[in-house]
Amino acid sequence: MNESGPRERELSSEAALLVRVARKDREAFAALFLLAAPRVKSYIMRLGSDAATAEEVVQDVMLTVWRKADRFDPVKATAYTWIFVIARNRRIDMLRRERATVVYGVEFPEAPDEETPLASDAMAASQRDASVRDAMADLSPEQQEVVRRAFFEEEPHTVIAAALDLPLGTVKSRLRLAFKKLRDRLEDVQK
Amino acid sequence: MIGWPPESQPRRHPSLGTLAAYAAGTLRAGFDIVAGAHVRSCAHCARQVAALQRAHGATLAGIQSVELEEDALARALARLDHDAPVRPPPAKSLEDLLASAQRQWVAPGVWVAKIDTPHAPDDRVYLLSAAPGVATARHGHSGLEFTQVLTGSLQDGEIMYRAGDFSECSEGDTHHPQARGDEPCVCLFATAGRLRPKGLLGQIAFALADV
Repeated sequence: MNESGPRERELSSEAALLVRVARKDREAFAALFLLAAPRVKSYIMRLGSDAATAEEVVQDVMLTVWRKADRFDPVKATAYTWIFVIARNRRIDMLRRERATVVYGVEFPEAPDEETPLASDAMAASQRDASVRDAMADLSPEQQEVVRRAFFEEEPHTVIAAALDLPLGTVKSRLRLAFKKLRDRLEDVQK
Repeated sequence: MIGWPPESQPRRHPSLGTLAAYAAGTLRAGFDIVAGAHVRSCAHCARQVAALQRAHGATLAGIQSVELEEDALARALARLDHDAPVRPPPAKSLEDLLASAQRQWVAPGVWVAKIDTPHAPDDRVYLLSAAPGVATARHGHSGLEFTQVLTGSLQDGEIMYRAGDFSECSEGDTHHPQARGDEPCVCLFATAGRLRPKGLLGQIAFALADV
Protein backbone atom coordinates (compact mmCIF):
# COMPACT_ATOMS: atom_id res chain seq x y z
CA MET A 1 0.00 0.00 0.00
CA ASN A 2 1.22 3.46 -0.82
CA GLU A 3 1.58 5.29 2.45
CA SER A 4 3.00 8.58 1.23
CA GLY A 5 1.62 11.76 2.75
CA PRO A 6 0.26 13.45 -0.39
CA ARG A 7 -1.56 10.30 -1.37
CA GLU A 8 -3.32 10.12 1.99
CA ARG A 9 -4.54 13.67 1.70
CA GLU A 10 -6.40 12.76 -1.49
CA LEU A 11 -8.37 10.06 0.30
CA SER A 12 -11.62 10.66 2.12
CA SER A 13 -10.95 11.30 5.78
CA GLU A 14 -12.22 7.84 6.75
CA ALA A 15 -9.97 6.16 4.17
CA ALA A 16 -6.98 8.17 5.35
CA LEU A 17 -7.76 7.16 8.93
CA LEU A 18 -7.99 3.51 7.91
CA VAL A 19 -4.58 3.72 6.27
CA ARG A 20 -3.22 5.06 9.56
CA VAL A 21 -5.10 2.39 11.54
CA ALA A 22 -3.28 -0.19 9.43
CA ARG A 23 -0.09 1.18 10.98
CA LYS A 24 -1.63 0.60 14.44
CA ASP A 25 -2.25 4.29 15.04
CA ARG A 26 -4.61 4.35 18.05
CA GLU A 27 -5.45 8.02 17.65
CA ALA A 28 -6.61 7.36 14.12
CA PHE A 29 -8.62 4.39 15.36
CA ALA A 30 -10.38 6.55 17.96
CA ALA A 31 -11.22 9.15 15.31
CA LEU A 32 -12.48 6.50 12.90
CA PHE A 33 -14.50 4.89 15.69
CA LEU A 34 -16.35 8.13 16.39
CA LEU A 35 -17.19 8.52 12.69
CA ALA A 36 -18.01 4.94 11.72
CA ALA A 37 -19.26 3.14 14.84
CA PRO A 38 -22.51 5.14 15.23
CA ARG A 39 -23.31 4.41 11.59
CA VAL A 40 -22.56 0.71 11.98
CA LYS A 41 -24.81 0.63 15.04
CA SER A 42 -27.56 2.26 13.00
CA TYR A 43 -27.18 -0.33 10.22
CA ILE A 44 -27.25 -3.26 12.66
CA MET A 45 -30.36 -1.89 14.37
CA ARG A 46 -32.12 -1.44 11.04
CA LEU A 47 -31.64 -5.16 10.48
CA GLY A 48 -33.69 -5.84 13.59
CA SER A 49 -31.21 -6.02 16.47
CA ASP A 50 -31.93 -4.23 19.73
CA ALA A 51 -29.57 -1.48 20.89
CA ALA A 52 -27.62 -3.67 23.31
CA THR A 53 -26.98 -6.37 20.72
CA ALA A 54 -26.07 -3.76 18.13
CA GLU A 55 -23.57 -2.27 20.57
CA GLU A 56 -21.87 -5.67 20.92
CA VAL A 57 -21.74 -6.14 17.16
CA VAL A 58 -20.23 -2.66 16.82
CA GLN A 59 -17.47 -3.57 19.28
CA ASP A 60 -16.75 -6.71 17.33
CA VAL A 61 -16.81 -4.93 13.97
CA MET A 62 -14.47 -2.16 15.09
CA LEU A 63 -12.07 -4.63 16.66
CA THR A 64 -12.06 -6.50 13.34
CA VAL A 65 -11.40 -3.19 11.56
CA TRP A 66 -8.39 -2.64 13.84
CA ARG A 67 -6.98 -6.07 13.17
CA LYS A 68 -7.61 -6.19 9.44
CA ALA A 69 -7.01 -2.58 8.42
CA ASP A 70 -3.82 -3.58 6.59
CA ARG A 71 -6.04 -5.40 4.09
CA PHE A 72 -7.93 -2.22 3.22
CA ASP A 73 -7.04 -1.04 -0.27
CA PRO A 74 -8.38 2.45 -1.00
CA VAL A 75 -8.08 1.77 -4.72
CA LYS A 76 -10.50 -1.15 -4.54
CA ALA A 77 -13.13 0.06 -2.09
CA THR A 78 -14.24 3.08 -0.17
CA ALA A 79 -13.75 3.00 3.58
CA TYR A 80 -17.47 2.58 4.17
CA THR A 81 -17.86 -0.22 1.65
CA TRP A 82 -14.98 -2.04 3.33
CA ILE A 83 -16.45 -1.47 6.79
CA PHE A 84 -19.92 -2.40 5.53
CA VAL A 85 -18.74 -5.81 4.33
CA ILE A 86 -17.08 -6.46 7.69
CA ALA A 87 -20.25 -5.42 9.53
CA ARG A 88 -22.42 -7.61 7.30
CA ASN A 89 -20.21 -10.65 7.85
CA ARG A 90 -19.54 -10.14 11.55
CA ARG A 91 -23.24 -9.70 12.25
CA ILE A 92 -24.02 -13.02 10.58
CA ASP A 93 -21.09 -14.71 12.33
CA MET A 94 -22.31 -13.51 15.67
CA LEU A 95 -25.73 -14.95 14.95
CA ARG A 96 -24.06 -18.29 14.47
CA ARG A 97 -23.16 -20.33 17.44
CA GLU A 98 -22.08 -22.96 15.03
CA ARG A 99 -21.12 -22.07 11.54
CA ALA A 100 -22.20 -24.37 8.78
CA THR A 101 -21.11 -22.39 5.79
CA VAL A 102 -20.09 -24.20 2.69
CA VAL A 103 -16.92 -22.80 1.25
CA TYR A 104 -17.22 -24.36 -2.03
CA GLY A 105 -14.52 -24.38 -4.63
CA VAL A 106 -14.75 -27.67 -6.43
CA GLU A 107 -13.90 -28.11 -10.07
CA PHE A 108 -17.02 -28.16 -12.11
CA PRO A 109 -17.65 -31.39 -13.96
CA GLU A 110 -18.06 -31.52 -17.69
CA ALA A 111 -21.62 -31.17 -18.85
CA PRO A 112 -23.18 -34.61 -18.44
CA ASP A 113 -24.90 -36.57 -21.14
CA GLU A 114 -28.50 -35.54 -21.12
CA GLU A 115 -29.74 -38.66 -22.83
CA THR A 116 -29.36 -40.97 -19.82
CA PRO A 117 -32.65 -42.80 -19.45
CA LEU A 118 -34.60 -42.27 -16.27
CA ALA A 119 -35.24 -45.14 -13.91
CA SER A 120 -38.87 -45.69 -13.25
CA ASP A 121 -40.33 -45.70 -9.79
CA ALA A 122 -41.73 -49.20 -9.81
CA MET A 123 -44.05 -49.29 -6.86
CA ALA A 124 -47.30 -47.43 -6.87
CA ALA A 125 -47.33 -44.70 -4.26
CA SER A 126 -50.77 -45.64 -3.02
CA GLN A 127 -49.69 -49.18 -2.30
CA ARG A 128 -46.71 -47.96 -0.30
CA ASP A 129 -48.82 -45.53 1.66
CA ALA A 130 -51.29 -48.22 2.65
CA SER A 131 -48.54 -50.49 3.91
CA VAL A 132 -47.03 -47.65 5.96
CA ARG A 133 -50.36 -46.92 7.57
CA ASP A 134 -50.72 -50.57 8.56
CA ALA A 135 -47.24 -50.55 10.05
CA MET A 136 -47.95 -47.37 12.00
CA ALA A 137 -50.89 -48.95 13.75
CA ASP A 138 -48.51 -51.50 15.27
CA LEU A 139 -46.29 -48.93 17.00
CA SER A 140 -46.28 -48.42 20.77
CA PRO A 141 -48.11 -45.34 22.10
CA GLU A 142 -44.77 -43.63 22.90
CA GLN A 143 -43.54 -44.26 19.39
CA GLN A 144 -46.80 -43.09 17.89
CA GLU A 145 -46.55 -39.84 19.85
CA VAL A 146 -43.09 -38.92 18.54
CA VAL A 147 -43.97 -40.10 15.05
CA ARG A 148 -47.15 -38.03 15.09
CA ARG A 149 -45.24 -34.93 16.15
CA ALA A 150 -42.27 -35.45 13.84
CA PHE A 151 -44.33 -36.51 10.91
CA PHE A 152 -47.80 -35.06 11.05
CA GLU A 153 -47.04 -31.88 13.01
CA GLU A 154 -43.68 -31.48 11.23
CA GLU A 155 -42.04 -30.46 14.48
CA PRO A 156 -38.24 -30.40 14.58
CA HIS A 157 -36.78 -33.03 16.89
CA THR A 158 -35.61 -30.35 19.34
CA VAL A 159 -39.18 -29.04 19.66
CA ILE A 160 -40.52 -32.53 20.30
CA ALA A 161 -37.91 -33.10 22.99
CA ALA A 162 -38.90 -29.86 24.72
CA ALA A 163 -42.64 -30.53 24.43
CA LEU A 164 -42.41 -34.06 25.84
CA ASP A 165 -39.67 -33.16 28.34
CA LEU A 166 -37.43 -35.86 26.89
CA PRO A 167 -33.73 -35.78 26.10
CA LEU A 168 -33.13 -35.13 22.40
CA GLY A 169 -31.34 -38.48 22.15
CA THR A 170 -34.43 -40.28 23.40
CA VAL A 171 -36.60 -38.59 20.81
CA LYS A 172 -34.18 -39.52 18.07
CA SER A 173 -33.79 -43.13 19.17
CA ARG A 174 -37.56 -43.52 19.56
CA LEU A 175 -38.06 -42.18 16.07
CA ARG A 176 -35.35 -44.39 14.67
CA LEU A 177 -36.90 -47.48 16.18
CA ALA A 178 -40.36 -46.51 15.06
CA PHE A 179 -39.29 -45.71 11.55
CA LYS A 180 -37.15 -48.82 11.37
CA LYS A 181 -40.30 -50.84 11.92
CA LEU A 182 -41.96 -48.90 9.16
CA ARG A 183 -38.98 -49.25 6.89
CA ASP A 184 -38.75 -53.02 7.39
CA ARG A 185 -42.34 -53.26 6.29
CA LEU A 186 -41.66 -51.08 3.31
CA GLU A 187 -38.65 -53.04 2.22
CA ASP A 188 -40.75 -56.19 2.28
CA VAL A 189 -43.25 -54.51 0.03
CA GLN A 190 -40.59 -53.16 -2.29
CA LYS A 191 -39.01 -56.55 -2.96
CA MET B 1 -11.31 -20.85 -5.73
CA ILE B 2 -12.52 -19.90 -9.16
CA GLY B 3 -11.02 -22.55 -11.32
CA TRP B 4 -13.61 -24.29 -13.33
CA PRO B 5 -13.69 -24.31 -17.13
CA PRO B 6 -15.60 -21.34 -18.59
CA GLU B 7 -18.03 -23.59 -20.44
CA SER B 8 -19.27 -24.97 -17.12
CA GLN B 9 -19.86 -21.67 -15.39
CA PRO B 10 -23.20 -21.52 -13.64
CA ARG B 11 -26.10 -20.58 -15.86
CA ARG B 12 -28.84 -20.40 -13.26
CA HIS B 13 -28.41 -17.71 -10.67
CA PRO B 14 -30.23 -16.23 -7.69
CA SER B 15 -32.66 -13.46 -8.57
CA LEU B 16 -31.41 -9.91 -8.26
CA GLY B 17 -33.62 -9.48 -5.22
CA THR B 18 -31.98 -12.45 -3.55
CA LEU B 19 -28.50 -11.17 -4.40
CA ALA B 20 -29.40 -7.75 -3.01
CA ALA B 21 -30.64 -9.29 0.23
CA TYR B 22 -27.53 -11.46 0.42
CA ALA B 23 -25.28 -8.44 -0.13
CA ALA B 24 -27.10 -6.52 2.58
CA GLY B 25 -26.94 -9.45 4.97
CA THR B 26 -30.71 -9.59 5.33
CA LEU B 27 -31.42 -13.08 4.03
CA ARG B 28 -32.77 -15.51 6.60
CA ALA B 29 -29.78 -17.27 8.11
CA GLY B 30 -30.43 -20.70 6.62
CA PHE B 31 -30.94 -19.21 3.18
CA ASP B 32 -27.80 -17.12 3.54
CA ILE B 33 -25.79 -20.34 3.71
CA VAL B 34 -27.16 -21.64 0.41
CA ALA B 35 -26.97 -18.29 -1.38
CA GLY B 36 -23.40 -17.90 -0.08
CA ALA B 37 -22.45 -21.30 -1.49
CA HIS B 38 -23.53 -20.01 -4.89
CA VAL B 39 -22.01 -16.54 -4.68
CA ARG B 40 -18.63 -17.86 -3.57
CA SER B 41 -18.49 -20.20 -6.54
CA CYS B 42 -19.95 -17.92 -9.22
CA ALA B 43 -17.84 -15.08 -10.57
CA HIS B 44 -20.89 -13.48 -12.18
CA CYS B 45 -22.82 -13.27 -8.91
CA ALA B 46 -19.74 -12.34 -6.88
CA ARG B 47 -19.33 -9.28 -9.14
CA GLN B 48 -22.98 -8.33 -8.68
CA VAL B 49 -22.74 -8.70 -4.92
CA ALA B 50 -19.59 -6.55 -4.88
CA ALA B 51 -21.42 -3.85 -6.85
CA LEU B 52 -24.39 -4.01 -4.50
CA GLN B 53 -22.08 -3.77 -1.52
CA ARG B 54 -20.50 -0.62 -2.94
CA ALA B 55 -23.99 0.83 -2.95
CA HIS B 56 -24.53 -0.33 0.62
CA GLY B 57 -21.21 1.25 1.59
CA ALA B 58 -22.43 4.56 0.21
CA THR B 59 -25.64 4.10 2.18
CA LEU B 60 -23.67 3.41 5.34
CA ALA B 61 -21.69 6.61 4.78
CA GLY B 62 -24.92 8.58 4.67
CA ILE B 63 -26.95 6.70 7.25
CA GLN B 64 -28.43 8.49 10.27
CA SER B 65 -26.07 7.74 13.15
CA VAL B 66 -27.29 6.11 16.34
CA GLU B 67 -25.67 7.31 19.53
CA LEU B 68 -23.31 4.85 21.16
CA GLU B 69 -23.15 3.99 24.82
CA GLU B 70 -20.91 6.39 26.69
CA ASP B 71 -18.10 3.94 27.31
CA ALA B 72 -18.15 2.43 23.81
CA LEU B 73 -14.89 3.96 22.62
CA ALA B 74 -13.12 3.28 25.92
CA ARG B 75 -14.21 -0.35 25.76
CA ALA B 76 -13.00 -0.69 22.19
CA LEU B 77 -9.63 0.90 22.97
CA ALA B 78 -9.19 -1.36 25.98
CA ARG B 79 -9.75 -4.42 23.79
CA LEU B 80 -7.37 -3.49 20.99
CA ASP B 81 -4.36 -5.31 22.35
CA HIS B 82 -6.18 -8.22 23.90
CA ASP B 83 -9.26 -9.84 22.51
CA ALA B 84 -9.59 -11.47 19.19
CA PRO B 85 -13.13 -11.08 17.86
CA VAL B 86 -15.32 -14.09 18.59
CA ARG B 87 -14.69 -16.51 15.78
CA PRO B 88 -17.14 -19.19 14.80
CA PRO B 89 -15.64 -22.59 14.02
CA PRO B 90 -13.93 -22.39 10.63
CA ALA B 91 -16.18 -22.86 7.64
CA LYS B 92 -16.27 -26.35 6.30
CA SER B 93 -15.21 -27.12 2.79
CA LEU B 94 -17.62 -28.99 0.59
CA GLU B 95 -15.48 -32.11 0.94
CA ASP B 96 -15.52 -31.88 4.74
CA LEU B 97 -19.22 -31.24 4.77
CA LEU B 98 -19.92 -34.23 2.57
CA ALA B 99 -17.54 -36.44 4.54
CA SER B 100 -19.05 -35.53 7.90
CA ALA B 101 -22.67 -35.52 6.73
CA GLN B 102 -24.86 -37.92 8.66
CA ARG B 103 -26.52 -39.57 5.74
CA GLN B 104 -30.02 -40.86 6.15
CA TRP B 105 -31.29 -42.96 3.33
CA VAL B 106 -34.82 -41.89 2.59
CA ALA B 107 -35.50 -43.89 -0.57
CA PRO B 108 -33.48 -46.18 -2.81
CA GLY B 109 -30.65 -44.05 -4.17
CA VAL B 110 -31.58 -40.98 -2.14
CA TRP B 111 -30.05 -39.69 1.08
CA VAL B 112 -30.42 -36.50 3.03
CA ALA B 113 -28.16 -35.04 5.70
CA LYS B 114 -29.33 -32.32 8.00
CA ILE B 115 -26.97 -29.38 8.53
CA ASP B 116 -27.40 -27.98 12.01
CA THR B 117 -28.17 -24.29 12.03
CA PRO B 118 -28.91 -23.43 15.66
CA HIS B 119 -28.97 -19.76 14.70
CA ALA B 120 -31.84 -20.43 12.30
CA PRO B 121 -34.21 -22.86 13.99
CA ASP B 122 -37.03 -22.18 11.55
CA ASP B 123 -34.94 -22.82 8.46
CA ARG B 124 -34.11 -26.31 7.38
CA VAL B 125 -30.75 -26.66 5.70
CA TYR B 126 -29.68 -30.01 4.34
CA LEU B 127 -27.80 -31.90 1.69
CA LEU B 128 -29.77 -34.20 -0.55
CA SER B 129 -28.18 -36.70 -2.87
CA ALA B 130 -30.00 -38.59 -5.59
CA ALA B 131 -28.43 -41.36 -7.66
CA PRO B 132 -28.44 -40.85 -11.44
CA GLY B 133 -31.81 -41.53 -12.93
CA VAL B 134 -33.62 -41.34 -9.63
CA ALA B 135 -36.64 -39.14 -9.44
CA THR B 136 -36.66 -37.40 -6.09
CA ALA B 137 -39.98 -37.13 -4.39
CA ARG B 138 -42.51 -34.99 -6.14
CA HIS B 139 -43.06 -32.25 -3.66
CA GLY B 140 -44.77 -29.01 -2.92
CA HIS B 141 -43.61 -26.13 -0.78
CA SER B 142 -44.90 -24.58 2.35
CA GLY B 143 -42.52 -21.69 1.76
CA LEU B 144 -39.39 -20.50 0.02
CA GLU B 145 -36.78 -23.00 -1.11
CA PHE B 146 -33.19 -22.35 -2.24
CA THR B 147 -31.20 -25.07 -3.99
CA GLN B 148 -27.54 -25.03 -4.96
CA VAL B 149 -26.46 -27.95 -7.15
CA LEU B 150 -23.07 -29.12 -5.89
CA THR B 151 -22.42 -32.13 -8.10
CA GLY B 152 -24.21 -33.85 -10.94
CA SER B 153 -27.27 -32.41 -12.57
CA LEU B 154 -30.95 -32.22 -11.99
CA GLN B 155 -33.82 -31.80 -14.38
CA ASP B 156 -36.99 -30.10 -13.27
CA GLY B 157 -39.55 -29.90 -16.04
CA GLU B 158 -37.89 -28.17 -18.97
CA ILE B 159 -34.98 -26.84 -16.95
CA MET B 160 -31.66 -28.61 -16.49
CA TYR B 161 -29.68 -27.55 -13.44
CA ARG B 162 -25.99 -28.40 -13.46
CA ALA B 163 -23.29 -28.28 -10.82
CA GLY B 164 -22.96 -24.66 -9.75
CA ASP B 165 -26.51 -23.73 -10.66
CA PHE B 166 -28.94 -22.20 -8.22
CA SER B 167 -32.70 -22.42 -8.01
CA GLU B 168 -35.24 -20.61 -5.91
CA CYS B 169 -38.85 -21.72 -5.62
CA SER B 170 -41.64 -20.03 -3.79
CA GLU B 171 -44.70 -21.14 -1.96
CA GLY B 172 -47.16 -23.15 -3.98
CA ASP B 173 -44.71 -24.40 -6.61
CA THR B 174 -44.86 -28.14 -7.11
CA HIS B 175 -42.13 -29.94 -8.92
CA HIS B 176 -40.62 -33.30 -9.52
CA PRO B 177 -36.89 -33.00 -10.03
CA GLN B 178 -34.93 -35.94 -11.42
CA ALA B 179 -31.20 -36.57 -11.17
CA ARG B 180 -29.63 -36.86 -14.61
CA GLY B 181 -26.19 -37.77 -15.95
CA ASP B 182 -23.87 -40.40 -14.59
CA GLU B 183 -22.97 -39.27 -11.08
CA PRO B 184 -25.07 -38.65 -8.00
CA CYS B 185 -26.65 -35.23 -7.86
CA VAL B 186 -25.87 -33.59 -4.53
CA CYS B 187 -27.70 -30.39 -3.68
CA LEU B 188 -27.59 -28.01 -0.76
CA PHE B 189 -31.07 -26.94 0.22
CA ALA B 190 -32.65 -24.41 2.50
CA THR B 191 -36.37 -24.54 3.05
CA ALA B 192 -38.69 -22.62 5.31
CA GLY B 193 -40.74 -25.40 6.74
CA ARG B 194 -40.40 -28.95 5.66
CA LEU B 195 -40.36 -29.95 2.06
CA ARG B 196 -43.59 -31.77 1.36
CA PRO B 197 -42.99 -34.94 -0.58
CA LYS B 198 -46.24 -36.15 -2.08
CA GLY B 199 -45.86 -39.77 -1.01
CA LEU B 200 -46.21 -40.92 2.56
CA LEU B 201 -42.90 -42.78 2.32
CA GLY B 202 -40.98 -39.67 1.39
CA GLN B 203 -42.72 -37.67 4.09
CA ILE B 204 -41.78 -40.19 6.76
CA ALA B 205 -38.22 -40.26 5.55
CA PHE B 206 -37.96 -36.49 5.82
CA ALA B 207 -39.48 -36.54 9.29
CA LEU B 208 -36.91 -39.08 10.42
CA ALA B 209 -34.07 -37.08 8.94
CA ASP B 210 -35.47 -34.01 10.74
CA VAL B 211 -35.35 -31.92 7.59
